[in-house]
Amino acid sequence: MKEKKAKGLAGLLTSERWADATVSVLAIILMLIAASGILLLLGKNPAAAFYSFLQGCGLAPKANYGGGSGMLSDLFNYLNILAPMLLASLSFIVAFKTGLFNIGISGQMLASGFLATICVGYAKNLSPWIAKPLVILIGIAAGGLCGAFIGFLKYRFNIHEVVSTIMLNYIISYLTGFFINTKYVDMLTRSSRICSANARLTWTKVPIKGVSCNIPLGIAVALAAVFVVRFIFDKTAFGLELKIVGASRSCARYAGVNVRRGIVMSMALSGAFAGLAGVVYYLGYTNTMVPKTLPGMGYDSIAVALLGNSSPVGAIFASIIVTIFQSGANYMSSTIGVAKEIASLITGILLLFAACGEYMKALGRRAVERKEDRILAERAAARTKGGEER
Amino acid sequence: MTKVFTDGLSFALPLLIMAIGAIYSEKSGVTNLAIEGFQGFGAFIGALAAILIMPRLSSSSQLPIYIAILFAAVGGGIYACLHALLSINFKANQVISGVVVNILAVALTTFFTSAANTAINGTASNKFILGVSSRYSIPFLSKIPWIGGLFQRMYPFEWIICVLAFIFWYLMYRTRYGMRLRACGENPQALDAAGGDVVKTRWIAVVISGALSGVGGICFAYSIMANFSPSIYMGYGYLAIAAMIFGNWDIPSTALVCLFFGLAKAGGQQLCLAMKLSGNYTDLFNMLPYVLTMLLLIFFSKRNHPPKACGQPWDQGRR
Repeated sequence: MKEKKAKGLAGLLTSERWADATVSVLAIILMLIAASGILLLLGKNPAAAFYSFLQGCGLAPKANYGGGSGMLSDLFNYLNILAPMLLASLSFIVAFKTGLFNIGISGQMLASGFLATICVGYAKNLSPWIAKPLVILIGIAAGGLCGAFIGFLKYRFNIHEVVSTIMLNYIISYLTGFFINTKYVDMLTRSSRICSANARLTWTKVPIKGVSCNIPLGIAVALAAVFVVRFIFDKTAFGLELKIVGASRSCARYAGVNVRRGIVMSMALSGAFAGLAGVVYYLGYTNTMVPKTLPGMGYDSIAVALLGNSSPVGAIFASIIVTIFQSGANYMSSTIGVAKEIASLITGILLLFAACGEYMKALGRRAVERKEDRILAERAAARTKGGEER
Repeated sequence: MTKVFTDGLSFALPLLIMAIGAIYSEKSGVTNLAIEGFQGFGAFIGALAAILIMPRLSSSSQLPIYIAILFAAVGGGIYACLHALLSINFKANQVISGVVVNILAVALTTFFTSAANTAINGTASNKFILGVSSRYSIPFLSKIPWIGGLFQRMYPFEWIICVLAFIFWYLMYRTRYGMRLRACGENPQALDAAGGDVVKTRWIAVVISGALSGVGGICFAYSIMANFSPSIYMGYGYLAIAAMIFGNWDIPSTALVCLFFGLAKAGGQQLCLAMKLSGNYTDLFNMLPYVLTMLLLIFFSKRNHPPKACGQPWDQGRR
């Protein structure tokens, strides 16, 4: 006896198609409520704070702008930090679909960013048409090698990827820190020297409609990467193999899938995206490297992937939302007067609610079951009542 | 040489207590990457308590340290409830839950440290200045050649950690609860059939894990850092997890591994000083424990025996 489909929130949470998206939307709503609570406790107006986050990202007009900048330049800056975030979350998604956790995105970003900076960023007289593609290639190669190494350790020596990535994170952080401090340091800023304009993945100070904008190339790379990931997992046999490995190792072995190759290839692919994120972040956004500092983005991207239900297209929406808080925090802090660390607090809270997804779905299922039970009970009661009357 | 032993031990013991916390959680079947977050949050609560109590006491009083350790344990334990709730009751992926808890800990402590500083003394600094705990040498023992350094200039918390480590070793290997806890990580169904409560056992284990990590965190804050700031998230929690894996989820072997890490770190620093290298080279030596872990894992990980049910949410209906 099939009942009519349940309606309302519980119905959405149990429907196969909408459950994941509903969880994400619920997580965002709960986060907004929690963040408003914190802002109210601090004695600030939540609506004004959220609006100034948007203003800081160039998604809403500010009251006044400094000379030569405008809403468009803010928007391009926002896109500039959105690009590496999206790439990093794609990196997590690729590994996650194969049942692997790439916690080492930060380290892989740092390694590729460092190599690209010293190989291309400091080279003189390199034409931009050679330098920019070279930077991207180095990013892919360095990240991919890191990832493949982790995959190799996993299948050959049975070292869990979470452990090896964490170890590698610190090794890379200290090693690059050492080289930056001894060879490439800018004495004034205590971080690495800035790289040449030709190698940068951002066209700086392009005048558009009277304001100067920094146009990020990374966002095009990131959007292309979304389609690559989507294509691999939806349309190719290789992607299907990876998904089978992720669903069940023993089943994959039984079906004749080469599990070892799957693990290494998946980590290499994941590392390659992390490497891309690294070059886009260091040569596009920051343009310099602070020694011994792992980019927090590597961890935030896990939040983005989780919020986007580990689907490449979902990651676009999720990274748009998470980045609003990170990118708009400075402006919010200067206008509303709340410490800008609240951005990472908000990301953390969002992540917390997104991690409760399974529980939300279970609650939805329970509500639907309870409703069905009630209907059945009512029907049974009606039947017995009818029997008595007869 | 003696300095290597002194510094090595004062680094190894806080690491050990965090590793024991990790062992408790993982032996009960809950994967715990959240040690880093637990220790930071515990240290935050401990440091906050110390900051609040310090003006009421004379400046030379050592009492705030003990209060801080107590509060750090309580704070870490309470914060661990979050990981327990997510991974035991809500059946979230335990690795993800661990990462979430870490990110949230960094964000929460950074934000509320500056908020608390603004409220207490009006400056939005992100540090609680704690100072370094005073040190004592043990008479006679510290005079032993070679290993005498182990007993020289000890922090009082090192004794507390030794006692705690022994208590929790006893609890795990010699009591009924410890037996159940280990069963819980290997075969929770068997424990359930024997009349144990899997959810309760795991909850207690995760809370213990948080409390011990908190103690480890505040000890680092009172020795190496001399303050509480976001730099407490140096990755020592992850190093403790590495020690646990390397020590094969066994408390005595993990203790040896922690001692080895501590001596390697302190030895590297002393070597760096002795060879008169610039401060930059300490980075290379700081890298040493991580490289060693990687190398040694390559040789030993085949023999490793992680708890069988580790990482799987408890499902009573499954066989």
